[in-house]
Amino acid sequence: MKILVCIKQVPDMESKFKVAASGKWYDTADLAWRMNEYDEYAVEQAVQVKEQVGDADLTVLCIGGERVKETMKKALAMGCDRGVHVADDKAAEKEPFEIAGIIAEFARDKQFDLIFTGMQSQDRGSAQVGVLTAEMLGIPSISTIVQFAYADGRIETRRELEGGVKSIVKAAAPALVTCQLGLNTPRYPTLPNIMKAKKKELLSLPVADLLKVDARQETGKMYFPVKKGGGLVLEGEIGQLVDQLIQILKEKTGVLA
Amino acid sequence: MQTLPKGGSFLFETTAPRNIFTPEDFDDEHKLIAETVTHFLAEYVFSRMEEIDAKKEGLMRELLVEAGKLGLLGADIPEQYDGTETDEICTTIIAEKVGATGSFAIAHGGHTGIGNLPIVYFGNEAQKAAYLPAIVTADKISAYALTEPGSGSDALSATSKATLSTDGKHYILNGSKTFISNAGIADIFIVYAKIDGDKFSAFIVDGHSEGLTTGAEEHKMGLKGSSTRSVFFDNVNVPVENLLYEAGKGHVVAFNILNIGRHKIAANAVGAAKLALDESARYANERKQFKVSIARFGLIKEKLAEMAIRTFAAESAVYRTGGLLNDMMHSLDRSGPDGGRITAKGIEEYALECSMEKVFASEAEAFVVDEGVQIHGGYGYIAEYPIERLYRDARVRRIFEGTNEINRNLISTTLIRRAAKRALPLMDAVSSVRSRLTTGIPVRKDAGDLVQATKDAFLFTLGIATDTFGDELLKQQEILGRLADMALLAYAMESAWCRAQKAVMNGQSGAKHKENMANAFIYTTVEKVILAAKEALANLAAGDELVKMQANVAMIFQYTPVDIIALRREIAGEISEAGKYIA
Repeated sequence: MKILVCIKQVPDMESKFKVAASGKWYDTADLAWRMNEYDEYAVEQAVQVKEQVGDADLTVLCIGGERVKETMKKALAMGCDRGVHVADDKAAEKEPFEIAGIIAEFARDKQFDLIFTGMQSQDRGSAQVGVLTAEMLGIPSISTIVQFAYADGRIETRRELEGGVKSIVKAAAPALVTCQLGLNTPRYPTLPNIMKAKKKELLSLPVADLLKVDARQETGKMYFPVKKGGGLVLEGEIGQLVDQLIQILKEKTGVLA
Repeated sequence: MQTLPKGGSFLFETTAPRNIFTPEDFDDEHKLIAETVTHFLAEYVFSRMEEIDAKKEGLMRELLVEAGKLGLLGADIPEQYDGTETDEICTTIIAEKVGATGSFAIAHGGHTGIGNLPIVYFGNEAQKAAYLPAIVTADKISAYALTEPGSGSDALSATSKATLSTDGKHYILNGSKTFISNAGIADIFIVYAKIDGDKFSAFIVDGHSEGLTTGAEEHKMGLKGSSTRSVFFDNVNVPVENLLYEAGKGHVVAFNILNIGRHKIAANAVGAAKLALDESARYANERKQFKVSIARFGLIKEKLAEMAIRTFAAESAVYRTGGLLNDMMHSLDRSGPDGGRITAKGIEEYALECSMEKVFASEAEAFVVDEGVQIHGGYGYIAEYPIERLYRDARVRRIFEGTNEINRNLISTTLIRRAAKRALPLMDAVSSVRSRLTTGIPVRKDAGDLVQATKDAFLFTLGIATDTFGDELLKQQEILGRLADMALLAYAMESAWCRAQKAVMNGQSGAKHKENMANAFIYTTVEKVILAAKEALANLAAGDELVKMQANVAMIFQYTPVDIIALRREIAGEISEAGKYIA
């Protein structure tokens, strides 16, 4: 059995973000980096499947500069067998269709039975890469899963719907799933596994070899949300309050226009 | 690879920033290990601090077992005994991180450091195979039993006795040990006793042996969750194969283990100091008086800055030493059955540095936790706030693993002895300083120059002290203490300086902040060095002779002060913005 898990390195979300000089992404200087939270669920699930079936080969793929290797080593230490690093210093400038294109191009002739990705990335948050990849590979995808089981070439998942409702979705492998919070508790790597991961294969491929699709979206501008004014608490008699409220609505909004 | 510097050689050699290890040099594995330890402590230890400090039955063992599952107990143990031989940087990182937990750090350190290293370094094949795998999993918890009621700093005066049984199969152990960490939960004790009353030796003693009992739990000032008891041996039979290393060589085991023990204590202190600063920086941001956060007050800024500066210096010294120990271990062929002993011998080269960092880091921590309480105001005195625990837990670090006074003596006497044996050309360096004083020493232009000035002052004072007292100098504790202060402050200053310079050279982010901290540390600390030199010299000479010496000290330290207040404001600004220690 062959499994692929795709991960992304993102900044620690507690970092102080600044818009980059280009105005199209955040400034990457002085940030601490870690594995995208949803990808940790993906890695954990992939490792659990591998542990379940025993005879499986688990590849972790990550696109980015040299820096992402640290995050890849974490995935290797968690239990992935080999790493494929798609070397791309400009990964942050690529939009989801291109990222999916790169992954699909890599995966196309590899016969992966299962592909795991995070539900979305914590920085761009498009939630498109997983499903686009599946589409490009012509395999089914199930997004936002919170439960996963594999048996005899079939998967059974629970995926999150709106309003707390969940649906049970089944598919035959090969298939791709995108992983959501609640799916599992990612393990943190043990010391022996961290040291063993050092010896695992970590192959670097130039992004140019895999990027065969053109971008379909363009980032216009990145900016912080305009600071909203503080809330206003009106106090006094009901009648007066109503008058005050109407006055404010007339002056400051268009709802009574 | 560069050739390894000799222990203590920094005092007369110039250290290139690229040649010291700094936390900025962590590789991916180091970072991952740090992350794993942080997660583990947050989930299992910090979340249960109250239960831990209430000594909840069975909890400490449970935590050690969990730590074992992550491999956090086997970092010093070879793979063939189920450990993960990492490197000295990894073990330093682990010690630093656990340091912040107080009681757990002691249980962890008692078990993994001083508790198992005697077997790792000095055990024979059978002993290693019998004990180490169980230590890795915390199946057996270990403890180190050296101190006795009547022998603390004077460890070799121990009165515990081991007598060979008539059939030659056992040593019969009698005596008692006191202040033994992990005593209440230990399955294995490393016990020191004198065979036939004179051959000081180390033994591995089964904690469940007949005749072995432990006293009541000590009620300690801090580290309340760690078990500390007396241990009594009443005709305890110890199989002869449990003699560790050689009969009469217990001191070799004890002292070599203490070197690494001191390094780990220093790392513990850094971890605790960082947490104290994190708590204080956050509190200062949140606490409002006169309608502004107190972090905006000048005197609070000075505190936050100075806490960060000393933590930075201690951290720099600890990882520099970790780097030295690591390079040493990698330079040795440790593959044979004698590998452990070879390692211990190698480590001894840096005994000085281990003592220096232990003294410096434990005193830096003491300052940091004290100011931390002060920043918390009245709340700092209330047990609800972590700073109260950190304050209490810190105190013993200046006492155990050799009191800071014993370590100061050790630093100076080791230097003097190595100089006498010509293992270190310290006296040549003294001559060189003297000749430079006759031709004139130029004004010191920057912090780097002031590190050199500190070394010059040490060498100058050492020269006078040796001239005055000769061999008797080894008995002049007040002078030895001041020499040790100058040496260890030079070490800390140089570590901070080289780390900042390395960051600047590599264009690292935060290099300016590091440089500010190094500068502030050096410009303030140099005044302590001057005081130590002056006090020592005033004891060594009088009259015109003393006047001349003081003129020499003045020449060594010709420099223009920097605006330390402005520097501290800038440093505090970084700390407050981050709401925690950053370097």
